[in-house]
Amino acid sequence: MDMNGGPRIVGFLCNWCSYAGADMAGTSRMSYPPNIRIIRVPCSGRVDPLLVVKSFQQGADGVLVAGCHPGDCHYTEGNYYARRRFALLRPLLDFVGIEQERLRLEWVSASEGRKFSRAVASFQEELERLGPRGHRG
Amino acid sequence: MSRFLSLDGLLAWLDGLLKEGTVVVAPTLVEGVSLYQPVPAAAEIDLDGGATVLSPKEWLFPQSHTLFTVERRDGAAELKEGTFDGRAVLFGLHPCDALGVHLMDVPFLAEPADASYRERRERTALVGLSCTRCRPECFCTSMGTAPDDPAHLDVMLTPVEGGYAVAAASEKGEALLASAVLEEKAVPLPEPPVPDRLPTEDLPRVFRALFGHAYWGRVADRCIHCNICSYVCPTCYCFDVRDYSRGNTAERVQSWESCQAPGFARIAGGYEPRPSKAAKMRQRFAHKFLYFPEAFDGPLSCTGCGRCVRSCPVNIDIREIIGDLQRIGVSSVGSGEKQD
Amino acid sequence: MVEEVRDKARELLSAGTVECVIGYERATDGITARPLFAYSPEEADRFILDRTCVHNLARYLLDRKGKPTAVVVKPCDSRTINLLVHENQIERDKVFAIGVTCPGVVEAHWGETTEGLQSRCGSCPLEVPVVYDHLITVPGERQPRTGFPELEKLEAMSPQERLEFWQQQFQRCIRCYACRQVCPGCYCPICFVDQLDPMWVGIKIAPPENQVWHLIRAFHLAGRCIECGECQRVCPVNIPLMLLNQKLTAEVEGMFDFRPGLDAETLPPFATFRKEELEAER
Repeated sequence: MDMNGGPRIVGFLCNWCSYAGADMAGTSRMSYPPNIRIIRVPCSGRVDPLLVVKSFQQGADGVLVAGCHPGDCHYTEGNYYARRRFALLRPLLDFVGIEQERLRLEWVSASEGRKFSRAVASFQEELERLGPRGHRG
Repeated sequence: MSRFLSLDGLLAWLDGLLKEGTVVVAPTLVEGVSLYQPVPAAAEIDLDGGATVLSPKEWLFPQSHTLFTVERRDGAAELKEGTFDGRAVLFGLHPCDALGVHLMDVPFLAEPADASYRERRERTALVGLSCTRCRPECFCTSMGTAPDDPAHLDVMLTPVEGGYAVAAASEKGEALLASAVLEEKAVPLPEPPVPDRLPTEDLPRVFRALFGHAYWGRVADRCIHCNICSYVCPTCYCFDVRDYSRGNTAERVQSWESCQAPGFARIAGGYEPRPSKAAKMRQRFAHKFLYFPEAFDGPLSCTGCGRCVRSCPVNIDIREIIGDLQRIGVSSVGSGEKQD
Repeated sequence: MVEEVRDKARELLSAGTVECVIGYERATDGITARPLFAYSPEEADRFILDRTCVHNLARYLLDRKGKPTAVVVKPCDSRTINLLVHENQIERDKVFAIGVTCPGVVEAHWGETTEGLQSRCGSCPLEVPVVYDHLITVPGERQPRTGFPELEKLEAMSPQERLEFWQQQFQRCIRCYACRQVCPGCYCPICFVDQLDPMWVGIKIAPPENQVWHLIRAFHLAGRCIECGECQRVCPVNIPLMLLNQKLTAEVEGMFDFRPGLDAETLPPFATFRKEELEAER
C-alpha cells in the first residue's frame, strides 16, 4: 500500500511519447492518481521483464509500461518487441499468482495527456478491485 | 545401556520441549523432500527416513541470514544484531551428521570464533539417532565414525523394539533428558549395519602427489559446476557476505557459496586463479582431503554421508575418486599430463 | 543398438574425425547413467544406451567450442544443436551428431529409476532427432503426445491458490543454480543473478528472491527452451521447474506458432515481429 492508502503503481514511460504525454497531462492540469512512480526509459522496448518482476518483488501492486503507438516508435521497432514481450510476461505472471491485470501496456503519444491520466485512473480502479498483492515477492 | 524410551515417550518428550519454547529441528518431509526444519509438533518428524537432502548444518550455519541491521533514525544509527536467543534441539542426527557438526566446529569455533555460529552452537543440543541400515552411498566408517557412534552428541538414541535405547553422552544431554519418561529396561542393541570401506590411507599425501594429474580433467568433463555438492555437504562452509541498503536501513547478509560457482575465485582485475573446469572441480576435493587436514592438523573434511553422491546430477562420486586416486597411486607421478 | 553407438564412436575416434565422443555410461549405482567423454576407441567400449539415458549431452558442446566433437543426441537433445547453431554458440561443422530415436526415458536419480516415463516425454513432438549425422533407430513405441496435463491442473486454480503453490515451491529453492548450469540455453558469461551493479537479485536466499530468479530465467528461455527437462531433473529439492517452461512453450506456440530448435534458421519470436498482431494490454 502506498502512504496515501492506494495501490502502489510503478510506471515505465518511454521518453519520446508517453513520458511527454504524462508531462502534458501535468502541464494541462489534468489530474491523475499520485500513487504512480514514473521511471523514464528511452523506449518501451528497453523495459526488461526483470524490471517488472523486480518491481513486484519490491512491493508494487501494479506495473504500467507505456510507449509510442505501434508504427510511431522513435527507434522504429522497439515497441513491437515490447508488445511481444509483455504479451508473454502477463500469462507467466498470472501463472505464478500475480494477476494478468496487474501488468498493463499502454500506447500513449506525446499529445495524449488525457489518455494518460485516464489510463492511470482506470488502472488504479482495477488494482483497487483486485486488492493488494497476496504476499510480497 | 539400560534406559528405554518408548516411541510415545519420545514424541511426548519432544512435544514437551516444544511447549517450553525450545526449537526442535528435525528431519521432516516438505512436499516429499526430506529436510531438517524446525517442526511445529513431534508428529511431523520423519523418524524412519534415510538421509535428508540437505545436512543439518543449515541450522547452525543458515543458508542465508542477516548478521545485523543498521537503522538510521533521528541522526543516530541503531545496530540490531541478528541473534538467536532461544534454545534448540537438533534431533535425529545420524553419526555422519554428528561428525559433520564437529567438523564445522573446527573452523568456526577456532579463535576468533564466528559469533553467529557459536551462539547457535552453544544454544543447541544434539540428539543423535543410530543407523539401522546403510544406504548404498554410505561410507561413514572410512571417515572415522560408524553407524552407532555416539561421539559429538549430547544424547544418543538407538532404535529398538517399541522405542529407543537412550544414552546421555554429555551433561547437556543428561539435563535434556530430565523431562523424558525413561524406563530402566535391559534392551538388546541391534547389530549396526556395515557400510563399504574406502581406501583412505594417506589420502592427503596421495592427493598432493596427484594434484596436477590429468585425471581431474577427465572427471571434470562432466561437471556442470552447480552448487549442489557444496550445499548438501555437512562440512562445506564457504560463504559470502554482502551489504544491502535501502533508504535508512542497511543489512549485512551472509549466505552460502560454492567453490564450484563461476566467479567464485575471481579477483579484482578479472583474474581467475582456477580457470579450468579441472581446477574448479578439483578444488572441492582438495579442500576436503588436503587443505583442511593440513590446516587443522587432522581429520579429512568428509563424514561419509554420501549426500553428494546421491545428489550430483552427473554422478561425480567422491568414493570413486578416492578409489581412483589410490589406484593411480603415488608411483605414477609424472606420468600424467600437467594440468594448469 | 548400443553396439551401433560403440562402433560409430570407435570409427570416429580412430579416424580422428573427432577428438571426443560424448555418450552415456553406467553410473556408480549400477542402475542409472552418466555422461562419458571418450577420447579413444577403447573407451568407447563403455558406452550404453537405454531408457536411463536422460542427460542432455548436447549441453557439453558449449564447453568444447571449436573442438571437433561427436555427441549422442535423443530427439529433444538434438534441438539443442539447432538452438546453439542459430545463436552462434557452436559451429555445425565441428559437431558430429549421433542421433538416436527415442521411445521415451524414465525418471532417473542416483540409486533409483521409475517404471514409467518422464511426463515431458508425453509432450514430445518428435520421434526422430531433428538434426543428425548418423541415425540409430532404437526399438520401442512412443507414447502419443498428450499436451501438458500438469499445466491444466494449475490453470484451474485461482490466482491466490497458484500464488501459494509457487510460494511453497520457491521456499525450498537453495539457489544451487543446477537448473541454470545444466541448461543448454543458459550460457551468459555473467548471469543476471551474478551481476553486482546493479544487483538485481543478490545473495539472499528467500522466496521473494527465489521467485525473481526462476521467473526471469524462465522468461530468458521463452521461445528458446527445447524441453529437455534437465532443469527439473537436477533440482535437488524437486521443484517442478518444467511447469514454468511448459507454460511459456504453450503460450509461444499459441501466439507465434513457433517451437524452438526444430530447425536452425527460423527466427525466434523475440527476434522478430509482425506489424499487425496481438495487442498485449487488457
